[in-house]
Amino acid sequence: MTALLDSAALDQAGDTGTTPARLLRAEFMKIRTTDTGWLFLAGFIVFTALALTANGFSTHFQLYPQQGQGDRAHALAAAAQARTPAGVAAISASMMTSGQRIGVIFALLLGVLIVTSEFANQTAAVTFVTVPRRATVIRAKLAAAACCGALFWLAGTIIAAVTTPLFLYSQHVSVSLAGWTVARAALLSLLAFVAWGVFGLGLGAVLRSQTASLIAAIAVYGGSFGALLVFTALYNLFHQGWMLGAPVIAPALASEVLTTSGPAFPNAPPAWVGGIILIAYVVALAAAGLALTKRRDVI
Amino acid sequence: MVVLLAVVLMGGLVWLVRRTRSGMRTGRAGADGAGPGFPDRPLGGKRVSPALMSQGRIDVRGLTKEYRGVMAVDDLSFTVEPGRVTGFLGPNGAGKTTTLRMLLGLVEPTAGTATIGGVRYADLDQPIRRVGAILEAGAAHKDRTGRDHLRIVCQSAGIPLARADEVLELVGLGAAGNRTFRGYSLGMRQRLGVAAELLGDPQVLILDEPANGLDPEGIRWMRDLLRTLAAQGRTILVSSHLLGEMEQLADDLVIITAGRLTARGTVASVIGSLPYLSRTLVRTPELEKLAAALGRDAAVTPDGDGGAYITGADAVAIGDAALRAGVAIHQMVTQLPDLEAAFLELTAGKAAIR
Repeated sequence: MTALLDSAALDQAGDTGTTPARLLRAEFMKIRTTDTGWLFLAGFIVFTALALTANGFSTHFQLYPQQGQGDRAHALAAAAQARTPAGVAAISASMMTSGQRIGVIFALLLGVLIVTSEFANQTAAVTFVTVPRRATVIRAKLAAAACCGALFWLAGTIIAAVTTPLFLYSQHVSVSLAGWTVARAALLSLLAFVAWGVFGLGLGAVLRSQTASLIAAIAVYGGSFGALLVFTALYNLFHQGWMLGAPVIAPALASEVLTTSGPAFPNAPPAWVGGIILIAYVVALAAAGLALTKRRDVI
Repeated sequence: MVVLLAVVLMGGLVWLVRRTRSGMRTGRAGADGAGPGFPDRPLGGKRVSPALMSQGRIDVRGLTKEYRGVMAVDDLSFTVEPGRVTGFLGPNGAGKTTTLRMLLGLVEPTAGTATIGGVRYADLDQPIRRVGAILEAGAAHKDRTGRDHLRIVCQSAGIPLARADEVLELVGLGAAGNRTFRGYSLGMRQRLGVAAELLGDPQVLILDEPANGLDPEGIRWMRDLLRTLAAQGRTILVSSHLLGEMEQLADDLVIITAGRLTARGTVASVIGSLPYLSRTLVRTPELEKLAAALGRDAAVTPDGDGGAYITGADAVAIGDAALRAGVAIHQMVTQLPDLEAAFLELTAGKAAIR
C-alpha cells in the first residue's frame, strides 16, 4: 500500500506548475474532450455550405437575369455592372464570406458554453481549486474563445476559398481572390468571429447560468436588429439625422457595419465605427467577466 | 456540388474527431518531458519528514461567513493535525461544505482566516502539489471520460499527463478510464474524486463525503487508503455523515452545528465528554439493596438476564455505594455511548436547516 503512491510520472516531471500556455492548452483539452465544440463546428460547416449554395444561386441570377423578371433593363444593367472588375471583386468578397455574418453566432454560443458549462457541470470548483488565481483561468478562456472564433472563420473561409473560384469559373467570370477587396472582407470577418467568441465568453462569465447566458446571447444578437426599427421610428418622430446612423450601437449591427463592404443599412456610419463599437462591447464584457469571477464566491 | 463538398468535409471531420479521441485514449506518456525531480516534493510513498510535518497543519481561526443575514459559519476555530485523520461532522446545513470552500479559497470569508501550513490556499505555490481537495463527487463533465477529466487537471497544473493513468490504476478505475463520466456509478465517481485528489501527491487531503455511495468493499478500501496516507504523516480532513464509519476511521473529530463549533478532540474524548450517556451493567445478587444505596439520581433498569443497567451514576459511585451497603458485585462493565448517540446528543435541537 505504501509503495503504491510512488509515482514515476511525478519523479520524472521537470518544471511543474501552472503557466498561461499550459492553461490555454488545458482549455483546448476541455473543448475537444466533449462533443459540444465538434457539434458546433459541424453545424457551422453545414451552415456555411448552405449559405454558399444560396449565395451561388443569387449570384448566378444576378449575372444571368432570367426572362420574365420585372425590370429587364435594370437587371441587365446590374449584370453588366457585376462583370466589371469592381463587380467581380464584390461578388468574390461576398462569396468568400458566405454566411459568416450569421455564422458568428456559432462562435458566440460556443464562447458562452466554454465558461457556463463549468458551472453547469460543477467543474468550476475543480478548475478553481487547481488554479486559485481565477483571473488567469478566465484569461485562458478568453484566449480559447478567441481561438475558437478564429478556427470557425478558418473553416468557413477554406470551404469558401475552394468553392468560390470553381463556382465563378463555372459562371464564366474571371476569378480574382487575391485582391484587396476580398482580403479586406475576409480579415474583417475574422475580426468579427474573434470578437463574438470573446463576447460570448464575457457574457457567460458575467451571467454564469448556462440557460440564461444562451438566451441572453441570442437575444442580444437578434434584438440588435430591432434597433433599426426603434431608431427609424424615433427619426420619424424627431427628424434628427444622427438617429439614422445610431442603430450601430447595437452589437450585431456594429458587427454588420464592420463587415459589410457597402452600407449595412441606409445611412450607416463607416466600417471603423462599427469596429470600435463592437470591440468596446467585447472589452467591457471581458473586463466585467474577469472582475466578477475574481470577486464572486464559487458555489 | 457545394453540398457534396460539405458532406465530404463533415465526414472528414468526424473521422478526425474519432482519430484524435482514440489517439488521446491510448495516451502519450510524459508529455511534459523529463527533468530533475520536483525540489521540495515531500512525499511519494514515503513518510513526511518531521521538518515538513508542520506544513500540513490546517488552522481555522474565527472563520465566519454570512449569507444574506444567515450565519452559515459563525466564528469557527479549530486545527487539524498532520499524521491524523480528522472527521469533520455536523448535521445537514451545519456549514461543513462552506467551511471547506473557504479553506480552499472558493468562498471569501466574511471574517477570520483559514490557512494550510500558515498560508492561505490561494497563496500556495502549486496548490495541488500540496493539497488534494475535490469537493463534489459529481463534479466532472458528463460527456468527458474519467481519464480526460484527470488529464485536464494535470495539464492545468503542469503535471505530466501520464500521472492521470497512475492515479486511475491506484483507485481501481484503470479499466473504466475511457468511459464517460455519465456512465459512472456513484462509487466510481467517488473513486475518480479520490484519484483527482492524489494527482499532485499532496501532503494534505480534504474530502467531502467520500464514502457516500460506496459499497462495503469500497468503504473498506477508502478507510485503508486514508489510514495509510495518515500513517505516512499526511493530514486528512474528512467530512461525513456516516458516523459508524467515522468512529472506525477518525483519530480526531471536529463537530459543528449551525455554523458553530460543538465539540473537538479525539474520538474518545468527545464521546467521554458525555458521561451521562454512558451506562453501567451490574450483576449483583442484591439489586434492590444496591438501588436503594444509590439513591434517587440513579436509574436502575433490569436487563432481563439477572443483571441491570444503571445510568446516572458512574462506576466509582456504584462501587462506593455497594461497599457502603455491603452488597457483593459479580460484574460491572461501563458502556460508553457510540459516536452516533454522542453526535445526536451534541447536535440535538440545533440541527434545523436554516
